[in-house]
Amino acid sequence: MRGQQRYYAATLVLLLCAAGCHRADYSKRLIVILVPSQDNPYFKAEADTAAKRALELGYRVRIDAHDDDAYRQDNLIDGAVASNAAAIILDNAGSDSSISAVRRATRAGIPCFLIDREIAADGIAKAQIIADNNQGARVVAEEFAKAIGRAGGEYAELLGRESDTNAQVRTRGFHSVLDTRPEFKLVSAQAANWSQSEAFQKTETILQGHPKIVGIIAGNDTMALGAVAAIKSAGLKGITITGFDGSPDATGAIRAGELHATTLQPAVVISKLAVDEADRFLKTGSTGRPERQVIPCDLVTRANADEYQDFEKIR
Amino acid sequence: MSAVATMLSKSDRLASSSARAVLMLLRARAILVLVLLLILFAAMVPSFLSANNLSILSKHVAISAILAIGMTFVVLSGGIDLSVGSAAGLSGMVAGYVLTRGGVSHSTVVAVMIAFAVCLAIGALNGWLVAKAGVAPFIATLGTLYIARGAALLLSNGKTFPNLGGSVAHGLTAFPAIGQSFLLGLPMPVWIMLVLFGLAAIVAAKTPLGRHVYAVGGNERAARLAGINVPRVKLITYLFSAFCASVVGIIIASQLEAAHPATGESFELNAIAAVVLGGTSLMGGRGSVAGSLIGALVIGVLADGLVMLGVSEFWQIVIKGVVIVLAVAVDQLQSRLQAKFLPYLLRSTTEAGR
Repeated sequence: MRGQQRYYAATLVLLLCAAGCHRADYSKRLIVILVPSQDNPYFKAEADTAAKRALELGYRVRIDAHDDDAYRQDNLIDGAVASNAAAIILDNAGSDSSISAVRRATRAGIPCFLIDREIAADGIAKAQIIADNNQGARVVAEEFAKAIGRAGGEYAELLGRESDTNAQVRTRGFHSVLDTRPEFKLVSAQAANWSQSEAFQKTETILQGHPKIVGIIAGNDTMALGAVAAIKSAGLKGITITGFDGSPDATGAIRAGELHATTLQPAVVISKLAVDEADRFLKTGSTGRPERQVIPCDLVTRANADEYQDFEKIR
Repeated sequence: MSAVATMLSKSDRLASSSARAVLMLLRARAILVLVLLLILFAAMVPSFLSANNLSILSKHVAISAILAIGMTFVVLSGGIDLSVGSAAGLSGMVAGYVLTRGGVSHSTVVAVMIAFAVCLAIGALNGWLVAKAGVAPFIATLGTLYIARGAALLLSNGKTFPNLGGSVAHGLTAFPAIGQSFLLGLPMPVWIMLVLFGLAAIVAAKTPLGRHVYAVGGNERAARLAGINVPRVKLITYLFSAFCASVVGIIIASQLEAAHPATGESFELNAIAAVVLGGTSLMGGRGSVAGSLIGALVIGVLADGLVMLGVSEFWQIVIKGVVIVLAVAVDQLQSRLQAKFLPYLLRSTTEAGR
């Protein structure tokens, strides 16, 4: 019995040590990078790029994920304050629910640099650098319309999570293009919450009700790939599907001819920019740029899909 | 003959004393783990024991501790409450709704009262389903978990209620104070936790209701035959648990100055983990409120310490799982040891009494 107990204790200690053995160099200043998740390629690329850049500039880094949970984000920002971080790079958990946490960090003397998503307040964060979702949505909607052609027809839309500003901006962008063309008729708009499996199910249901649709425009790549899978399993052909984000999976599907187009969010560019501005702010007291910065998105089609890799233009 | 008897009783005493030591260690395991973690993190993270960090840590612990205090009574009575996370989310949303859109009043007091009322209704539903309708606690509270989450999403159509800290016109100035102010150097949520803890500890140890909760969890049939109103006891445990959830929801909405419908996801699992770590048996009838508080401390220290240490989030999840599984395994060990050595312990007590 006692041996058993000792064995439990040893396992616990071992695990803790295994997890903690990469001791950081505490003489360097700390940059904390907070992203929604690390199991999504987009956020992973975002976090990894920022970490790499910060290490190059001589900081130590810590990456954490808040799982789109504003309360967890709040705790992680508290943790950054407690660790005397020099700066926080944040892809936030909600434009309204993140304000108080960002303000708390700023008051504690830790500048916050927001990437990918904005908050609904000015003058608190030192920078808010986002992809131009409106421009990206318009570009991809133009391509969607061009691919389907003059004949037009019925189409469906898959929307992202409603609480996310980007979901709203993108759908507005799509409609500002498609609503001006009378030959296109929206027959179904469903929220699939950025999720591939939800998009798969929703598309199957849409196809039951509207077998004549000629296209599906999705608010992000994972939903677009869910739609691709549903179309495939229904044995249908000739339905134009577009995504948004420019994930490696999506560019792969474009090369394979399953997905028509997507638009690349410059995650890598944004992350690098944010860390560079944080560095400049820490050294000079100013980023030298306005707080809100918008970076344009690139259209990715079969013609140029080979030029993009891991959210970055490589050629 | 008498020499043999002396030898026997000597070996008995030896067995009982070593068994006692092991049992003592097992009972104090949560405190031991807590001390171990504190030493470990203090050694590895320079600013871990700073006043600033301890204040932040205590604020985080308060959230899971309040839920765990409520959960303790439910578990002691032999039930489980999976709905607390959703109830916390709903509570914040109701408060946010009243504060920003409520037609009648934007007052903080009214908002908090209505949030309490809604959560108590969830608790009453849980209690009724379990005590009167005979639905298994796991299923009943799983159902209310979904109902409360859906209701929270419906209230705002999935959106966030923003600016709960902002406008003076809405009379909101008092609301952020619930989660963000300090009293005598301690964060307000910690005071709220201490008050609830004191209340719960007194009820558990000193009142007939507390003894009834233990009795119902220990042997429901015997409790009923002894004249205890079992359904009433169960209803009260679920009401208290829902009330604690409501308090947590309001504190979080106040801290974030916003109410998001997804708040509180998987909080119920943290609360259950804290209760189990604190030595309360999931079978009911055995455990304590103080244990749950220590359990919540262990989970809180572990979570914050691992973040400050910079451990990858995936490892954090694994470690948390390992700690919970170990806690239950050790709990089983304690039960078995107790059953095995109980005769010896009893005998040595009677001998000592002679």
